Amino acid sequence: MTGDAAATGYGFTDRIAAIYRKMYINPAYRLLLLLLGAPITLIVFGVYQYRKSADGSRRQAEELRASLIASGSKERLLEEAKDQLRRKHAFFGQTVSAEQLNREAERLASAKFEAHVQERLHDGALSGDYKQNLNFAETFHSLIGNPLFFALSWLLGLPMYVLMAVYASAYAKYIAERLFMTLFVILGVAFVVFTILYISPMSPAANILGETATDEQIAAFNHLYGLDQPYLVQLWNTLKGIFTFDLGRSFSGNENVTVSIANKFPVTLTLTVISTLIAVLIALPIGIISATRPNSFFDYTFMFIALLGLSIPNFWQGLIFILNFSIKWSLLPATYSPNNWLSAIMPIIVLGTGLTAAVARMTRSSTLEVIHEDYIITARAKGLARRTVLWKHAVGNALIPIITVIGLQFGAMLGGAAVTEKVFNISGIGSFIVDKQFIPDIPSIMGGVVYTAITISIINVIVDLMYAFFDPRIRSKMKQY
Amino acid sequence: MTNPASTKQEINFRLKSASEYGQASFAGIVSLGLALVFLLNSYSAAAGAFKPAVLAFSIAYFVFAGLQLAVWALIRSNLIRKGEITAATRGLGYVLLLSLLTANIFIAAVAFQLIKRKKTAAYTLAVYTLMTTLLVFAVSALNLFKPYVSDNFLIGMVLLLLSAAVQLISLLLVGKFANGTLLPAWMWPVALLLIVTSVSGNLFALFLGLLLIGKLRDKGYTAGSKLNDIVDRLSRSSTSMLGLLFILFLLTVSVTSYLTFDYGMAIDNNYSAIFQPPSLEYPLGTDNFGRDLFSRIVFGARISLVVGLLSTLIPVLIGGALGAISGYYGRQADNIIMRALDILYSIPGILLAIAIIAAFGASTTNLIIALSVGAIPTYARTMRANVMLVSTLEYVQAARAFGSGDMKILFKHIVPNSLAPMIVKSTLTIGTAVISTSSLSFLGLGVEPHIPEWGNILKLGSAYLETHSYTAIYPGLAIIGLVLSFNFLGDGLRDALDPKLD
Repeated sequence: MTGDAAATGYGFTDRIAAIYRKMYINPAYRLLLLLLGAPITLIVFGVYQYRKSADGSRRQAEELRASLIASGSKERLLEEAKDQLRRKHAFFGQTVSAEQLNREAERLASAKFEAHVQERLHDGALSGDYKQNLNFAETFHSLIGNPLFFALSWLLGLPMYVLMAVYASAYAKYIAERLFMTLFVILGVAFVVFTILYISPMSPAANILGETATDEQIAAFNHLYGLDQPYLVQLWNTLKGIFTFDLGRSFSGNENVTVSIANKFPVTLTLTVISTLIAVLIALPIGIISATRPNSFFDYTFMFIALLGLSIPNFWQGLIFILNFSIKWSLLPATYSPNNWLSAIMPIIVLGTGLTAAVARMTRSSTLEVIHEDYIITARAKGLARRTVLWKHAVGNALIPIITVIGLQFGAMLGGAAVTEKVFNISGIGSFIVDKQFIPDIPSIMGGVVYTAITISIINVIVDLMYAFFDPRIRSKMKQY
Repeated sequence: MTNPASTKQEINFRLKSASEYGQASFAGIVSLGLALVFLLNSYSAAAGAFKPAVLAFSIAYFVFAGLQLAVWALIRSNLIRKGEITAATRGLGYVLLLSLLTANIFIAAVAFQLIKRKKTAAYTLAVYTLMTTLLVFAVSALNLFKPYVSDNFLIGMVLLLLSAAVQLISLLLVGKFANGTLLPAWMWPVALLLIVTSVSGNLFALFLGLLLIGKLRDKGYTAGSKLNDIVDRLSRSSTSMLGLLFILFLLTVSVTSYLTFDYGMAIDNNYSAIFQPPSLEYPLGTDNFGRDLFSRIVFGARISLVVGLLSTLIPVLIGGALGAISGYYGRQADNIIMRALDILYSIPGILLAIAIIAAFGASTTNLIIALSVGAIPTYARTMRANVMLVSTLEYVQAARAFGSGDMKILFKHIVPNSLAPMIVKSTLTIGTAVISTSSLSFLGLGVEPHIPEWGNILKLGSAYLETHSYTAIYPGLAIIGLVLSFNFLGDGLRDALDPKLD
């Protein structure tokens, strides 16, 4: 809206009114619009009510209704409905009581009658017999044309204009809706995980204090960590803690939960990101080559290896790697240490195997699908080189499902890193959660799971936005709705 | 009938249209690979010598791989020169059948296909039925080398032999008489007997029995049943049939192990036999408590299959119902259900499972629940997409015009027609469930540690990786085998059920 702001004239206010009218149709946006511009809403509502009673449109409607009833049109409709219902029941062989039939006929007839009245009013308004039927958005439109009201509305309803600015731009709207959904999902995740841990029959106090703990000791422990408070209070505190990065202290070890998560999370994230990058670099060429030579020996071999990669449990692969590379041949260290990059090789490969396999398979199938599209034949027919057709027309269009798979698999990898971390003794977020779950150390598990889920949600948002911007089909769809 | 091919395209076409050609090369290469693996394993670096038993096995595999590749070359020249495989080449299939003695199911399966000129779905099923029972019999027979066997061992073996006999006879009968659409009426008892033998868990026999009954009742009026169609398409891909073979082999072993295997071998400590290397008495060696690894893995199959199947079935039912409702009713119902499932979807499966198990303790039931909950959203999404697609079809409108109720339309007309993707998806995700089960057990969060489950066995074995690595390797191979089989089967089913990809 920046460009148009200078041209504060008739056209600009019209555009604002158009956006307002469009937003008013959608119930969720209507609510937001009315709430964010509450002072404006009040003024417009007052004017709307006044005009409605003043211009006589309400009276007109009443008169029309009365005249129609007087002419017997409603009764005719009722008889018609009854007749139809009777025929319908006779056709299906149903027996319905007279009272029920009447009720149903009444409902149908009054709906029809109302539609009829509205139609007459609308037709009348068009031909000029009746006054224009006012509605809320129309009132806003007529008011905003007034320069005084326009200036006042900017003063009072700035949040509303910000919302309208977001709505007016298709991209901004898409991003805002997506972010809103993410926020909702994050709240939901926190709620679900907290509730699961809350209804747990396990008692952290008894597990930490030992079998010999007295009831007073347990009560004191529960009081110290706020476990004796009601559900809603605990839930509120947890939600607050998640957004303010303060989840209190862990039950065992008395460490600050968010600080330990902040220490461990980067380790996991670095390993998973590196292994995702390497996996994609390996998988894309393999998938594309397999797709260009379908059903060849090469294709079968690679796809068999990919399926094998999907079927190998991470921990077993890790153990076999340790057995061969560390124990038998002493090439690589068996446990991970942050200072030694050699020790990161095996975890990265183990983490990336599943992703490589999934991406290679997806690349193959999606490239194969695209290769058989009509536009590829067109590209070939116009004499483009095989290479150009493949790289410029096929691969670009095949990338969308591949990006989806990468996003999904990355999430799974981040969540499933616990197993690999345990095998290579990495002190990442996964092994942190696993170590804490035996107690169960509620704040630590909560923090670990929720922050991982938040990271995954954010990555999913980025993936969504990425293909919204890359894929022209999605882009045009976005603009339409 | 000599009809030599002239052009390259024609040669390619002939080779591709004969399924035996591709199968032969597949079996030959796989056997060659296995032979190499055995050869590498037969050499122990420490002793500097070959282990005779493994070496003999490897040589046998090499011999059959060589034979298979020779047959492959013969098929190739037959196809190029004459346009069909000659009777003499097909006769070589009987020689290749001997590979069954070395447990080489790859070559055996291909040999059965080579022998028969005109293959029907029933014939393929009969072959796999027999092979499964024979494999189970052979594996159970390994118990003979143990100091003692379970009380019901003899009964179990006799029953297995009997069902093998029934299945062999039905294979011969099916091969001889089930070529056309019309079956002789005396096939009824054969079909019923086959279904009886499927009690052992050999579902191939059940499918075959149902297929025969379907044909008998149909009396050649229709073009063929849906089962017939699917088996026909599935049997074209040897990998998916072999995957199904391995799954049903494990299922049958799990069921028959109640009779033929001694649970004590798997759980009772025997300190006089700690860390025995693989031998005839202990085919896969023993662990740190002297328990037989072989028996433990056999009993572990039971847990893995049950957990894998249940933790797929539960989310299929719940997620399927939610997805169907949300896809059919749309609007508010759709919004509420899918938004709620979005929340579940954004928590990674393993982490959600860990959180649930942290809250309710580690046990098999909790494990199944934990894995099920995390899988609900994916199935709901799949089902919803299908239901939305099917709801717009004409027959649904017709049903509505006839005045059917919503529930009747949904569950009688829409759901049965949107099941195919769910079946494919669930087959593919049983493998994931098996991996998750063993991963969680490995972390100490899954099945109770005293139960012989593959993840538990591996966890124990991983402590002795340096000295007795086989205790960790074999259970891992079992997991890979099962997961790979499910993946192969899923891929095959996707191709068989989705006509778009045909």
